[in-house]
This record gives sequence, structure tokens and C-alpha cells, in this order.
Amino acid sequence: MIRALIIDDEQHAREELEHLVKGTGAFELLGSCSNAIDALRRIRIEKPELLFLDIEMPALSGFELLAMIEDELMPHVVFVTAYDEHALKAFEEKTLDYLLKPVSAERLLKTVHKVRDAIRRGDPPRYQVEPLRHIPCQFANRVKLISPTAVGSVFSDVTGIHVVTSEGQFFTELTLRVLEERTPLLRCHRQYLVNPKSIDEIKLLDNGLAEIKTLVGSILPVSRRYLRQLKVYLQL
Amino acid sequence: MSLVFELLQQTAVIIVIAYLFSKSPAMNYLTGDRLKRQELLVLYIVFSLFSILGTYTGLPIQGAIANTRAIGAVLSGLIGGPVLGVAVGLTAGIHRFSLGGFTDLACAISTTVEGLVGGLIYLYLLRRKQPENIFHPFVAFSTTLVAEALQMLIILAIARPFSDAVALVEVIAVPMICANAVGAALFISMVRDQKRVRDKVGAMFSAKAFTVADRTLGILSQGFSSETAREMAEIIRQETGVGAVAITDREEILAFSGIGSDHHHAGNPIVTKWSKQALYENKVVFANGYDEYFQCPLAENCPIGSVLVVPLQVDQEVVGTISLYEPKTKLFLNINRSFGEGLATLYSHQLLRSRFEEQKSLLVQSELKLLQAQVNPHFLFNALNTIMSIIRKDSDQARRLLLQLSNFFRTNLQRKSDIVTLEEELAHISAYLEIEKARFGERLSVKQEIDPTLLDLQIPIFTLQPLIENAIKHGIADLLNQGEIWVRAYRQGEFVIIEVEDNAGNYRPPIDTQGLGMRLVDQRIKNVYGSEFGLTVEYDPQQKTLVQVKLPIEKELANDSCVNH
Repeated sequence: MIRALIIDDEQHAREELEHLVKGTGAFELLGSCSNAIDALRRIRIEKPELLFLDIEMPALSGFELLAMIEDELMPHVVFVTAYDEHALKAFEEKTLDYLLKPVSAERLLKTVHKVRDAIRRGDPPRYQVEPLRHIPCQFANRVKLISPTAVGSVFSDVTGIHVVTSEGQFFTELTLRVLEERTPLLRCHRQYLVNPKSIDEIKLLDNGLAEIKTLVGSILPVSRRYLRQLKVYLQL
Repeated sequence: MSLVFELLQQTAVIIVIAYLFSKSPAMNYLTGDRLKRQELLVLYIVFSLFSILGTYTGLPIQGAIANTRAIGAVLSGLIGGPVLGVAVGLTAGIHRFSLGGFTDLACAISTTVEGLVGGLIYLYLLRRKQPENIFHPFVAFSTTLVAEALQMLIILAIARPFSDAVALVEVIAVPMICANAVGAALFISMVRDQKRVRDKVGAMFSAKAFTVADRTLGILSQGFSSETAREMAEIIRQETGVGAVAITDREEILAFSGIGSDHHHAGNPIVTKWSKQALYENKVVFANGYDEYFQCPLAENCPIGSVLVVPLQVDQEVVGTISLYEPKTKLFLNINRSFGEGLATLYSHQLLRSRFEEQKSLLVQSELKLLQAQVNPHFLFNALNTIMSIIRKDSDQARRLLLQLSNFFRTNLQRKSDIVTLEEELAHISAYLEIEKARFGERLSVKQEIDPTLLDLQIPIFTLQPLIENAIKHGIADLLNQGEIWVRAYRQGEFVIIEVEDNAGNYRPPIDTQGLGMRLVDQRIKNVYGSEFGLTVEYDPQQKTLVQVKLPIEKELANDSCVNH
């Protein structure tokens, strides 16, 4: 049984695909999600082997969801789309397979074979993920999409990951690791990332530590381990 | 006194010469513009001969010659400037010198001086920016008067013996001064009159050309057909007064008006070699009636004797001809020839323009088709996918949705008229919205607030559809929570406002492809109603997008005024 998750913003589309997926008897369906944010949470909890991923979704597309998933959690992906203008691009992303809506049961069986083969061979799901264009943050009942260039710094505490911009602080589901790898943000401390474009001043302290003041006005600690990297990056 | 009469007789000769001069090509040079070298040479020869003639027609008096030589020298200076004046004066002077007599040297010098005087006056007038006064008889009169007076002084100063010179001057001074001055004034006045007549003819001709152009261009803009050709041929014949006018396309005569119309008919194939030559070689063909006769291949007794055929071309391609005919009894005027050629050029430009307009309107129509086609793929496949899912749960609803879908595509594919009522447009989008509501479920709600008195309002087809599609595609479909769309139509003073608002606020100022549909809506409304109407977008990021269409309330639309056929 392949552990699979369906992601599509339209209820009827989800139900239709659930029906077809169950009909093959090859999948253990972990659930269906209606947007990328929900999907990211479920992926962390359920760690599925396969995503049936709709490309056109509100706010964050299927491609953007992939950019938000940590490498070690990355499942295999089958794109599902109504119109095949994305199909070509999906193939370029070296996706496993793609399905066109409305999906036929026969076509889905081919997908089952492809996925089984890939899992049996132990092919790691590798996608050339794009850099993140938006950092999805929670903001009232909306998802606020923040461009990485607008970020001053990011920090983690017991409540989660917080993005600091000139407009305020926002909670995000993304990990510091993903943000460090897929945005221009730099690590300056185990718990802090800084936007190098936003650095106002760096104050060197005793015992090899430092402090960064950002243009937004926050003060960030710099640990010994990351100070050297930072100096190299900034050519200090 | 007898001397005065005899000199006046001479002036009669001058007037004849002036008349001949005014008919000669040299007249063309007297435009008041700066003269070219070649033109100066012609004037030099003409005026030198004229001046020498003045010497020959002179009367021998007391060993000297009373004459009108001065006129040629002074006028050449006046018309052509000091260089020409001195050259003519010197030539006539040397000639006079060769004839001998006790005043020979004095006359030679004075004639040159007279040419110079004319030239100085020319320079003076040019400097004062009054070149038109060169052709004023009074100027010619005074200049010659002064020049002749100078001549008398020069004779007194140079001719020897002095006593003979005084005696001569006493006799010839008054008659020669008067006769030369009057002669020069007469000459200039003659030339000026001829010039005026020419200018007047030119002006009349231009006026005629403008009238014809004005009357026919409007007709031509309705297209190049036998109908419009007939009207045009009639007008051209009336205005130019030529014997007959024919307009053809590549194969046949579209219209014929004038003499010979008993056997030259519209609808006849093109038979004359002149028309064929003009058509196939794309050049102006002229049979002037004496070097080359027009021979009618249809009737022996055809009254037509000469013909001008001018090709009409659009983009290097000959699409027809215009022919002007004159009867055997009449000369083909050059003026009508250049007129015919000019007219054909004008029509060719107009035809090119109409072709451009036609293509532009075709473009609008094909863009409209594109707009219809634009909706297809995503909407269709998503709709089918939605319906497939609903079939399992609620086959009645699925059936209803399939009906809506077929209604939507039927109206989209079958709409023929360019104008619909607001009610029809609303019915069309409601089919679309029903399917989208099924697809998005509770995420989409649509509210309509329509002033019921506006339901009969005539609007260009597909005005609302692209706005709704945009609101769904870029608004609601991108929204995580409840999406709302308002469709409103209401009066605002003189105008009608139709608006679509969504609560997503994801509108991005043009650049990207979402602009196409909206841009077309805007363009078409501006084309039909004027630039003060059309589309405006107001948006508040993440809050709302409001697209408003402003239309006039009163204007009744003709059924075909939206897109030209």
C-alpha cells in the first residue's frame, strides 16, 4: 500500500480523485487537503510517500508547495491538472507522472505502476525546487504572502518560527532550514536568520560574539559559529 | 513733337515683344524666386536681343540715335539682378559702340550703367523684402526714368564736342526719357497681367481639384464598387469638363460617364490596349489625339479621340484604372492630364487607407473570436471534472449543470449580433456562474444588484463575461476563505455604470495576460461610444477589486455600429 495524500482546492475534484484512488486498491489514503498550508502540516505529520498535487490552487500553487517542503520529507509527486499547459513544465521538474482532469481509472492504473516501480527501486524523490518566491505567514484568518526581500530577520522560539518585517511579526509554518536553503536569508545564530540586505550595523562583542542591528530595528545575536561565515559573506 | 510720336510707335513694337515674351517659356522664370544659372542665360539672350532691337528701331538724329535700348537693360537688371543687368547693358552697349557716331562711347557706358541701376533697384527691393514690387509698373517707370536721365548726363560728360552733345540732349532728352519710362512700365504691366492670369488659372485649377477630391473621397471611402465608381465618374466629368470618364477594376468597366456611353457601358470587359497597358504595366498611358489616336475597338463612329489612363494601385498592386477621354474635336489639355494623374494617386492612398481600416476591423472581429475561445480549456475541463464527481452523488444536479454548460457554450459559439441587451448578457454569465459555484461550492457567492429599468440597455457583446472570468480566475480562485462577487448595474447621472467587484484584491496592473480580455472590452466600448467611456479599475490589495464599465445612457446603438462588417 502506498501512503498517499491528495491536494486540490476544489471539493468535487478531491472527492472524484479520492474515489478513483480508493478504487485502485493500491493506496492508503492519508487524507485530502484544500490548500498548500494545510498540505504542509499534513505532510509533516503523516510523511506520505506520494502526493496527488493540483497545480492551480489559491494563493500558493502546487509548485510553490514543493518549494516549502524540507528535503528529507519530500514525497514522490503526481501532478493533477485540468489543462496541460503545465504538463510539460511538470515533466521538466522530473516529476514522477501527471494526470489530466477529468481522470480516467485506466490512466490512474498506469500511474500506480510507475509509483510502485519508483518506490521498489528506492528512487529518492528529487525535484529541482525553485527558490521560494513567497513565505506564507498566518495573518488573522488570511494567509499573508511575504516576499523574502521584504524580510528583515527570522527567529524561532518555543511557539514556532516568526518572520520580522517592517510591518510586524508573522508566524510561519516553514522551518529555518527551508528558509535558509531556499531564500537569500543568512543564518547568524542557531535560532536566527538575517536578510543581508537589511543589516544596518554589526557590533562585535567580547569572546567572539556579535550583535546585528537590522534596518527594521531588531537586534539579533550572532554566535561564534556563524560569525565567521557571515564575515566571509559580507567580505569583512 | 514728331519724335515723341515716333518713339511711341516704337513702344508699340515693345508691347508686341512683351506680349510674345509673356507667351514664351522664359515667362516661367519670372516667378519672383531666385533664378537658376540656365534661366539667367535665357533671360540674358532675350533681353540683349530686345535691347539691340531697341537700337535698330531707333531714329538717327544729329549723328546720334534716339532709341529704346534702355528698356531691355533696365528691365533685365530689375528682373535678374545687377549681374544680368550689367551683362545685358554691356552687350547692347558694345553693339551700339560698334555702330559708331559721336556718342558711341557715351551710349555704350550709359547702357551698362542703366543695367546696373535696374540691378541695384532689384537688390534694394529684395533687401526691403518686397520682391513682388519688381513687377510693379511704377517701379519700372521710375527706374527707367532715372536711368535715362543718367544717360543724358553721361552723354553730356563724355560725348565730344560738348556743344553737339548739348544740342543732341536738348532734342532727345524729354522724348527718350518719357518713351523709355513708359515703354518699360508697359512691358512690366503686360508681363504682370499675364502672370496674374496664370496664377488665377492655377488657383481655379487647385480649387477644382479640391472640389473633386472632396466630393469623391467620401464616396470612395464606402468602398470601391460599381456603385461608388458611377458617382465618382460623374463628378470627375462634371468638374473637369472632359468628354468622358471611365473607372475600371482589373477585369471590367465599373462606370462610364460622358460621350460614347451608347457603346461604352459599365460591365463591359476591358478591351482597349491603353487600359490594358496601364493595368498590366502599372503606368500612366496617354494617347494625345494627334501623335497617337484613340481608336475605339467597339464602334467605328465613336466620338472619342484622345485618352489618358491612370492605374489605381494599392500596395504596388494595380486594382483598377481611371480614364479621361476627350472627343476628336478637342485637344486634351495638359492641365487635365496632370489632374488625372494626381487624382489617381489620391485615390490610391484612399484605397490603401480603406484596406487598412478593413483589416483593422477584421482584427477586432478576430480578437472577439479569441475572446470567445479564451474561456475554453480550463473552464471546460474543470467543469467536466466537477460534473463527473457530482454524478456519483446527485445525478439531477449533474444533469442541470450539463444543461448550463451546454447553454453557455451554445451562446458563446452562436452569438451573431455584436450588440445584446444587458438581460441577455446577464443570462449568459449566470450559466457560467452556476457552474463555477458548483465547482467552488461554499467558497463562492455571487450577488446581483441590477436596476431593472436597465435590462433592455444595449451593450456590446461579451462586455461582462471577461470581467466575471477575471474576478473568478484571479480573485476568488486565489482566495483561501469565502469569495464574494457583486455584479451591479445602475444609473449615475448621464451614465450607466456596470460593475463587478470581488473581495480578493488580487488585481495586478496590466502587463500580464489577464489584461487581454479586459483591454478588448475597454477598446470596443471606446470605439463605439468615445474615449470618455470604457473601463476603470479600482483596487485595494487583499481587500477588493472593482472593475467599472461606464456607458452612455441615451445613445441608441445601431446594430452594426460596434464592429464594421
